[in-house]
Amino acid sequence: MQEKVEAQNILSMNSVEVLYDNVMLAIKGVSVQVPKGEMIALLGSNGAGKSTTLKAISGLLKAERGRISRGEITFQGTDITEALAQKRVEMGICHVIEGRRVFEHLTPDENLTAAAPRGMSRSTLNAEKEKIYGYFPRLAERKNSQAGYLSGGEQQMLAIGRALVTQPKLLMLDEPSLGLAPFLVEEIFGILQKINKDEGLSVLLVEQNALAALEIVSQGYLIENGRVVMHGTAEALKSNSDIQEFYLGGGETDFHNVKHYSRRKRWLS
Amino acid sequence: MDWVFLSELAINGALTGLLYSLFAIGLVLIYKASSVPNLAQGGLTMVGAYVVLALARDVGLPLWLAIPLAAVVMFGLGFGIERVALRRLAGRPVVMILMLTLGLDIFLRGTTLAIWGGTSRSMELGVSYDPLFLGDIFISRIHLVGAGVALALFVAFMLFFRTRTGIKLRAIADDYMASWSVGIAVERGVGLSWALASVVAVAAGVIWGEIQGVDQALSLLLLKGLTVAVLGGLDSILGAVIAGIILGVVENVGADFLDPLVGGGSRELIVAAVLILTVMIRPHGLFGRHDIERV
Ligand SMILES: Nc1ncnc2c1ncn2[C@@H]1O[C@H](COP(=O)(O)OP(=O)(O)OP(=O)(O)O)[C@@H](O)[C@H]1O
Ligand SMILES: [Mg+2]
Repeated sequence: MQEKVEAQNILSMNSVEVLYDNVMLAIKGVSVQVPKGEMIALLGSNGAGKSTTLKAISGLLKAERGRISRGEITFQGTDITEALAQKRVEMGICHVIEGRRVFEHLTPDENLTAAAPRGMSRSTLNAEKEKIYGYFPRLAERKNSQAGYLSGGEQQMLAIGRALVTQPKLLMLDEPSLGLAPFLVEEIFGILQKINKDEGLSVLLVEQNALAALEIVSQGYLIENGRVVMHGTAEALKSNSDIQEFYLGGGETDFHNVKHYSRRKRWLS
Repeated sequence: MDWVFLSELAINGALTGLLYSLFAIGLVLIYKASSVPNLAQGGLTMVGAYVVLALARDVGLPLWLAIPLAAVVMFGLGFGIERVALRRLAGRPVVMILMLTLGLDIFLRGTTLAIWGGTSRSMELGVSYDPLFLGDIFISRIHLVGAGVALALFVAFMLFFRTRTGIKLRAIADDYMASWSVGIAVERGVGLSWALASVVAVAAGVIWGEIQGVDQALSLLLLKGLTVAVLGGLDSILGAVIAGIILGVVENVGADFLDPLVGGGSRELIVAAVLILTVMIRPHGLFGRHDIERV
């Protein structure tokens, strides 16, 4: 029975604690499961620990002097808690980090080339690129200009495309909607959904834009102050009154009422 | 105005300048792959020359064998430097890495002094010192050879940075974190750039060692090399070549005009002026990448 559950979850994160600089406890026992082939959202406000959770999974904590001090992470049944970031990418975990971070001085085409796994043949790489340009026709148009001069939306598409070149089984995205116009968010989320359907790619999506995220995922986790405070299906979360009030902009909530907001936040944690 | 004399100054200046480029290409390689100016490039160049001499004189190998062998040794040394010293600094402020390379330069100088002493040794490449005449213009053969080596390396590295490995190195220079996120072996990439720069150091060490003898003074080439690299834009190989030619010509022709006026020593002043003015007026040099303002 236990084994069956394991087999269904491509990623399983159990009671993970992360310490930065050996003192700063950024997440405090987070458990997240990503079922194979599904899209899962990780919601929460600023500083909640969403990015830290993704970095714990991708192994990028090390670069920021962070480490997992408790708990374990398994990917396809293999313990990866201590694995190097590069190894995790090889296994099929790719993390589109916060803030797009394309290689600005390279062309979009070179950005894709840079992410090619070791040993990928030229023809496979070209096929991957064609597929990515198919998903993001705007990138194809601008593939030989300098990536730093692409628009925000195009850079986000490039960051996603660059991650796809690594042929991930689990794609993690950190706030891809940040700073983008609603129609672009819709376009990008639509493409993510399509890739998820077509290729069975599992997706872990970190968002502050809960409204948009809950439209495309099957389940969501709400993180506050380094802890999971809520977990449920997208439907359940959408109809939850607290989520509605504070993340979906429903009701009469005044988002600029900071006092009120922080009181509620304490309640949530 | 004596045009023959002036062109002789300009041509020999350009050739000398290409020898600065030869040195500067090593700096650019490391900068292009890790955004760190390597202050130990002078030390590496000096060590490159010493290793060639050690293999040729002390072991007794012929030069044609000693030079490529030294290149292999230095390739390994470059990788070793990343492994032992730089790896633990990855992601730290560039200033720390800069200081590390400065320390490395001092260390390399001290090491050669301890092993081979401070007396100048000659390279004896066997290039003839008979002048070569281009019409009425006198040209030094060794400078011509060195300029050819510089141009050959220039072409080789221009091609290299279009290969997949070369593109990965440029990606690393752009963003370590993003590189890690897509599985690029950042540490190995930085190591490779140091290894390649160390091979370039052998080429520069052999040519400059032939011209001015092999001793610790070779490491001082850093000053002119850095000036050329900065003028060229630090991350541009083409920039390093063109800036080298410019600095060589300006230095040679300028010194000829200025030396009588200031009573000698104007070469250093010209180099200093070029470096200072570049940083003040055009910090990313002639061909350097601009830092792109995020919109
Ligand atoms: N490199 C770091 N060193 C020390 N503390 C850090 C580091 N990165 C994050 N933190 C701290 O860990 C906590 C969680 O940060 P994290 O970036 O995971 O939040 P987040 O949910 O992604 O927030 P945001 O929505 O603003 O991106 C915060 O208190 C933050 O200050
Ligand atoms: Mg974040």
